[in-house]
Amino acid sequence: MSSPRTSAGRAGAPLWQHAPRPGHGFVAVYVLLLIAFGVVPTGYAIYFAFTDAGNNFVGLSNFVAAAGDFRFVAAVEHVGLYLVFWLAALVVFVVGLALLLHRLAAGPSRVVRFLYYIPGALAGAASVMVWLFLLDPAVSPVSFLLRAAGFATFGQVIAPGHLPILFTLIAFWTGAGGWIVVMYGALNNISADLLEAARIDGANAWQTAWRVQIPLLRKWIVYMVILAFAGGTQLFVEPQLLAQASVGVAGRDYSLNQLSYDFAFQNDNVDTAAAISVELLLIGLVVAAVFVVRSGFFDAD
Amino acid sequence: MPTDTRRRAPAARSTATSRSRARPRRRGTGRLPHPLSALILLLFAVFFVLPMLWLLLAATKTDDQLVHDNPLSFGSWHALRANWDALTAFQGDTVFLWLRNSAVYSFGALVITLCVAIPAGYGLAMTRFRGRRTLLVATLVVMLMPNATLVVPLFLEVNAVGLIGSMWSIILPYSFYPFGVYLTYIYFTTTLPTELVAAAKLDGCSEFGVFRHVALPLAAPVVALVGFFSFVANWTNYFLPYVLLPESDQFPVQVGLGTLLDDVPQFNPTVGTLAVQRPELALATLLAITPVLVVFLFSQRFLVTGMLAGATKE
Amino acid sequence: MTARTALLAIGAALVLAAAACGNGGTTTSSQNGFQPAPQTGGTLTVWVDSTRLAAAQLYQHEHPSVKMDIVTYDGDANGSNYLQTKVSLFNRTHSGWPDVVFSTQNNEISWAVRAGFTAPLNKGLINQSTLDNWAAGANDPCTTGGTLYCLRNDLAQTVLWYNATLMAQWGYQVPTTWPQYQALGTKVAAEHPGYLVGAAGDDFTPEIYLWAGKCGANQITGLKSVKVDTTSQNCSRMASLLDSLVKNGSLSTSSVFSSDFDKNDAGKILTMPGPSWYGGALFQGTFKVPAGQVAVAPMPQWPGDGSPSVGNVGGGTWLLSAHSTNLKAATAFLTWVTTAPDYQGKIAPGYPAYAPIAATWLANQAASHYYAGDISAPLQAAARQVWPGWGYGQFSQEAIWAATITPGLTAGRTIESMLPAWHDAIVNYARSDGYQVSQ
Repeated sequence: MSSPRTSAGRAGAPLWQHAPRPGHGFVAVYVLLLIAFGVVPTGYAIYFAFTDAGNNFVGLSNFVAAAGDFRFVAAVEHVGLYLVFWLAALVVFVVGLALLLHRLAAGPSRVVRFLYYIPGALAGAASVMVWLFLLDPAVSPVSFLLRAAGFATFGQVIAPGHLPILFTLIAFWTGAGGWIVVMYGALNNISADLLEAARIDGANAWQTAWRVQIPLLRKWIVYMVILAFAGGTQLFVEPQLLAQASVGVAGRDYSLNQLSYDFAFQNDNVDTAAAISVELLLIGLVVAAVFVVRSGFFDAD
Repeated sequence: MPTDTRRRAPAARSTATSRSRARPRRRGTGRLPHPLSALILLLFAVFFVLPMLWLLLAATKTDDQLVHDNPLSFGSWHALRANWDALTAFQGDTVFLWLRNSAVYSFGALVITLCVAIPAGYGLAMTRFRGRRTLLVATLVVMLMPNATLVVPLFLEVNAVGLIGSMWSIILPYSFYPFGVYLTYIYFTTTLPTELVAAAKLDGCSEFGVFRHVALPLAAPVVALVGFFSFVANWTNYFLPYVLLPESDQFPVQVGLGTLLDDVPQFNPTVGTLAVQRPELALATLLAITPVLVVFLFSQRFLVTGMLAGATKE
Repeated sequence: MTARTALLAIGAALVLAAAACGNGGTTTSSQNGFQPAPQTGGTLTVWVDSTRLAAAQLYQHEHPSVKMDIVTYDGDANGSNYLQTKVSLFNRTHSGWPDVVFSTQNNEISWAVRAGFTAPLNKGLINQSTLDNWAAGANDPCTTGGTLYCLRNDLAQTVLWYNATLMAQWGYQVPTTWPQYQALGTKVAAEHPGYLVGAAGDDFTPEIYLWAGKCGANQITGLKSVKVDTTSQNCSRMASLLDSLVKNGSLSTSSVFSSDFDKNDAGKILTMPGPSWYGGALFQGTFKVPAGQVAVAPMPQWPGDGSPSVGNVGGGTWLLSAHSTNLKAATAFLTWVTTAPDYQGKIAPGYPAYAPIAATWLANQAASHYYAGDISAPLQAAARQVWPGWGYGQFSQEAIWAATITPGLTAGRTIESMLPAWHDAIVNYARSDGYQVSQ
């Protein structure tokens, strides 16, 4: 569609008309793994969503039960608000920073990319302690910022109204570095001649970025948005780690995914948990489908 | 080169206009970046690095110093030594066992992932076969499925083939890495010049030959990217080994860190004399993230190499 | 489209096969008696947390002929639900259960009985005479319908910790009633501002104050039934006492384990009602209060109350698997680890729930010469006074308090004003866990 791929140039007859299908050979082992660790568990989970503990088909009653839980509506609101902050921050800053980085010389660029990536190595339990200290004005290296914002204790920093911003901060801090690396690599694939030509045309940095580089990054940005959207709706790690750090004061039962975990592992109610998972999957798929169709994501040559 | 529809027009004007440009900016010539962009990059660098600096310094302090001293002050070498001794003494050098386990699981899965994901991404990008779109859709669906309810079926599956307790119960699920397949797919669809492929086929190369002789040599960046992300995803995965592994000496370092956290008195007051102090936990965390950072640095050199510069001079 | 249909067919077949093999739902053994699994002996699998690892290792050391597999796990701490998750997975695969498990939680039977995991202990496996020696009420969280399903490891009865040096220096009397305690707080706020008579910022604050005050917020009446009343006089008078002390600044709203408390308040404690483990873990371990200052007095009581009551913060339980193929060895280990002086008396960090050993443990504590005065008498008395009207349900009262009350306290609201919201939160969580709630 609008994908500026050069589709001319396929020599000879279309490949798929030749008898042995080498394409299958390339993907054979992957398909095995996909079925074993992707399709079967996902299918099984979907099966759980529509059955009860005795394996009887119960239609939508698990979904109704999930929606009727006293934490459900609040969780939806939380996730919605978080998504807005998260997607905005990720897309704007990741693309922006990658573009800025790309203009640096190779040496400094490499150093800065490494620095940006370092938090990405910290995951889960490892970062509980970091955030516990970082967000406590009594002991934080950025206590002047926290006090300037009017917070004197850890409890004030993690007040319920601040949570969407805190979670966005934590998620961005951990995840942006990796995406910046991906975008940077994608920017590398843009011919230097093209940039040169744009410059010669009189484009300044902003115009080059907006008219040349970003359109060429489209598939990567779409990929990032799809995954960031799904990741945002499936918010789990950040509230969980804050719940651990604050010993339950903030972040518990905050998101839909946490609710799903509660159902699965505290109430031993895998069916309702699966219903929530299926809902999250559907939302992710719908948004992904919109992006995929509009950007010709699956077009290939 | 893909997407170069605009190449032709400027070329005609380049000679005429280049001399009239006051001061052309070139990337990578060592000129100073624009001050505003430098400031933004610097601010973000501080944002990303400051907490890690805190963590680094925390490992050199005692717990008291952690609370009472300046957060960014250096503790003492003595305290660092004490923390190190306490950490290695925890259940008798268990931290090294955890690191070893993590390495086995992550590298083992990495090898399999690369052997599987790169060809798969290539096949999806460059060949046509029935079920190609289905495969892409199925991969996307599976990637977007939340994990909570995948644990039970995964456990049952692994148990059904009798792998519970074996390292393969971790390595095999890890080697399924759809994110990497998509990365490879996007990479090949956006960068592999079809002229090259066409030329190779005209020369009589089979599909596999094209993959081996044309695509693979140019695929260093994506191999590094997929390899790196796969390694990190495996190294930092907590939940799968937590649920699947029956013996505590099989734990990877992420689960081990969780164990240490559970022994910090501030989180578990009744832990008594076996308390793990927070600087010790900080040191363990630094140990746990170092391999990731080393692998990052190693793979960076492949990530940066400008791609196909000069590959398609026709 | 044969490739696609083939893919779908394979996928469907696998799903069906997996569904057939891995049966959903839990298996329950008969609840009245107990049908042991075939006793084939074998390795004794013991799950402990890292604090109790020493116990398991000591047992192995003293009984080298017993083949043991000691596995450390998180002890189900911090709401991890690890044990419940693994047991439900094992129930699906019909194998893999450990023989003996230690849990830091007291509420395991709320799910474990229905899951058929725990073996009844008072139907012949352990002598009744041994079981009778547990402190009064210690095994209540383990008992349902007259059957005992787990054994309590240690007690965490609340007492009044205080700084004897400061008390003497300022000439105050140690309070014996709650009104005296309140008056003390008021005096401290006036004469020595900044000093504290207690803390209300922890998630176990209700277990210290409200449990001791006989507040009926958590009356577990059956395996899946609870009565919740948070606005009775017992609850509201204690809440308003706490509010008045928070208002005058003598009661902290930070957690005693927070960095903020450690930095600013650790050296300013006059009194601190709290569990028996405060002595070692909090004063000695975290605050590093010098020896000879910390003393213990009985928990304050309401005047005119005929039956003194204290609260309880924690403890731990040992469970025996009903699926064990080595009941004899498992029971021997279980009995040893809860009653043997070698572990409970000498090494265990907590006040033993097995009463005969408590004296040994107390002697050990006294021998360290850390405390000022005698700690044995108040602790032993308190061990008998834990109010039985507060139970352990599947829902965590600590988590509910932390999420509902603590943010409000931080924002400046009073506990008394939040009692109805607390009630609603408890009822909601209880119902979502399948409890019948009476109010």
